[in-house]
Amino acid sequence: MKQSPKFPKCYKIESKPHKFCPGCGHPLVLKMLGQVIDEMGIADKVVLMVDIGCSLLAWDFFDLPTTQTHHGRTVPTAVGFKMADPEKMVIAYLGDGGAYAIGLQHTLTTCLRNDPITTIVVNNTLYAMTGGQLAPTTVDNEITATTPGGKTEFTTLRGPELLRTIAHKEAYLARGTTNKPLVLKQYLQKALEVQMKKNYAFVEALSFCPTNWKTNAQKTIERIQDLEKTFKTGEF
Amino acid sequence: MIKVLIAGEGGQGVQVIAEILARAAFLENKKALYIPNFGVEQRGGVSLAFVIIDDKSVVYPKFAKADILAVLADRSWERVKNYLGEKTKVIEGPAITGQDKGLPVKTWNILVLRQINQAGQIVSQKNLIQALEERLAGQFKKNPELKELDLKAVNQ
Amino acid sequence: MKQFLMGNKILAQAAKDAGAKIMFGYPITPSTEILETWAKFCLKDKSLKILQTEDEMAAGFGVIGSCLAGVPAFTATAGPGNILMQDALVMAEALRIPMVTMMMQRGGMSTSTVIYSQEEVRLTCFGGNSEGFRIVYSTSNLQELYDYTLKAFQMAWKYRWPTFVLADGYQGKMMGEVEISNSKLPLTNLKPILTKGVNLRNCYNLEEEIGEKIADYNDEYQQTRSEIEEYEDYQTKDAKIILLAHGIVAAAVKIAVDKLRKRGLSIGLFRPITLRPFPTQAAVKILDKAEKIIVIESAIGQLAELFKAELFGLNTTLIEINKPALGFTPEEIDKQVCFFADAQK
Repeated sequence: MKQSPKFPKCYKIESKPHKFCPGCGHPLVLKMLGQVIDEMGIADKVVLMVDIGCSLLAWDFFDLPTTQTHHGRTVPTAVGFKMADPEKMVIAYLGDGGAYAIGLQHTLTTCLRNDPITTIVVNNTLYAMTGGQLAPTTVDNEITATTPGGKTEFTTLRGPELLRTIAHKEAYLARGTTNKPLVLKQYLQKALEVQMKKNYAFVEALSFCPTNWKTNAQKTIERIQDLEKTFKTGEF
Repeated sequence: MIKVLIAGEGGQGVQVIAEILARAAFLENKKALYIPNFGVEQRGGVSLAFVIIDDKSVVYPKFAKADILAVLADRSWERVKNYLGEKTKVIEGPAITGQDKGLPVKTWNILVLRQINQAGQIVSQKNLIQALEERLAGQFKKNPELKELDLKAVNQ
Repeated sequence: MKQFLMGNKILAQAAKDAGAKIMFGYPITPSTEILETWAKFCLKDKSLKILQTEDEMAAGFGVIGSCLAGVPAFTATAGPGNILMQDALVMAEALRIPMVTMMMQRGGMSTSTVIYSQEEVRLTCFGGNSEGFRIVYSTSNLQELYDYTLKAFQMAWKYRWPTFVLADGYQGKMMGEVEISNSKLPLTNLKPILTKGVNLRNCYNLEEEIGEKIADYNDEYQQTRSEIEEYEDYQTKDAKIILLAHGIVAAAVKIAVDKLRKRGLSIGLFRPITLRPFPTQAAVKILDKAEKIIVIESAIGQLAELFKAELFGLNTTLIEINKPALGFTPEEIDKQVCFFADAQK
């Protein structure tokens, strides 16, 4: 099978085509990550941990040592691995539920400790794999499976902004979007470079979820552009 | 085999003297097992210590009746009266008896330690003092006056 | 070399001597001294590391992370911490991670006391949403805290089941003599688990996929159990009454057995040392000849349950003496056993 030259070398061919929904943001984020790993030449050093939720589908995405963990426990597993083998580039890859709800204390504490791992959070503002329920990043009035009347309960959690209040000054925090993948790619590269300098790095990627947003292609793009009003992109 | 139960309030130094006694027995090549028993509060509350010393191996740290029962605070009696047997020797600390031999409060637990050892003829004075000095080495270094007072108490 | 140490310090020393390099933990009585002692070790020995985590889940998954990198790590907890630790423990079962945990049982039911019970047997053996593919050593004295911790690391890395030293607050806090070993055995298969070409998952799609995997694990567990099972047979030969106890209760039972034998009672003790895998074969052989079996534990039937599950069909009269969260002195055991044995005092 002839491989498109744009696919990263660290892809695992046997697991393709991938299992993400059509239009999902994950494959874009992962492709950018793969390209960064290729270009930095660090494939023999990268270890990837993925959460439960749609991120779990990345377990065999790459030809890189990867493990799924329990929901919300990706970050502490990454921390343990990095402590044992500091030479590796350890990446924790999770969704907004794993990072900001069930695993929030790990996200916060790891940042507080400036643990030298790289956390990538794919934020689609809801719990996709379980059918689209409320998440800490659900925006006001958003309709989800558990807020059928529109969310009004609590403030929307903005991860990088929150982390910046407790992060080390050398830590790297950024938010990109799958709508601008090449910009996101730059953030991912910086995030890995910062790990090499032994500091904490965090990149949130605003991401498409047409399946749970129940949007067609055009509305999906409109939706994510709208979300950028709540979730500012850039470096923090 | 000799079974010693020490009771007092948290902060009175019950555990320290229990540990010293057990360590002294170890120095004397005897077998000893010591276990503390207390609740969650750092101060106040009841503090119990069980010490068993024997020539052969001690495997279970608690017992039904004490051979020697030392009580450092009146309020602790309630918790330990069931450990009184027909032959139990009872020692009450200066907080109850008022007999402090002119020594300050912070040494009263050591006074009781001395009395326990005398009552049970458990270990030699030499090993008791060595265990005391080893256990409180840190405190004695910071506070040489305390060392003087504690040695006075253990030699009463 | 003989030393005078607290149980928890012995556990930390044993982990170090076993080859552990990292401890992850969250302070919880009565296990906290293990973490504190390890912290002191780290000051002197720069090859050792410690992480006090934000909770027990982070501690457990930290251990998993380290084991995945091929570096032996461990944790210690108790009570409510045991419950939180199950999150990591069951993933260790699923992914065959040699995670070692020291479980210092404290009072049962919720926060309870910080002191003692034997009420975490069920949780430690079967606390995951799984079939309990674990190795659980129930220690009964200070020397065993040391010896079985060394063994726990050996067996964990050899057989790849999460392995436990199941003790309690009494053993953790008591101080006495222990023989610290000078010889250090290297661990088997000490190499990274998560390497190139390895993609691990614990989430499956269809019933058939996971059903087969669990069945495979079970086959392996059953086939290797005889290499792992351990028990102690104390005076059971010709005994008409056999007492069944584990952990520190077994230590008190032994003293009672000696006293009762002196008074002419035909009595012995069968003590499982591994609660998982339970020493079933040995138990069947030894207990078959008894007229009465009396189970004695500081819980309500948790040991008895393990026993009944493994020895279903045994016709012997079974009596259970349950004292949840309370210890047994040898005198009490003597009294209770006499009552049930209809013997003279």
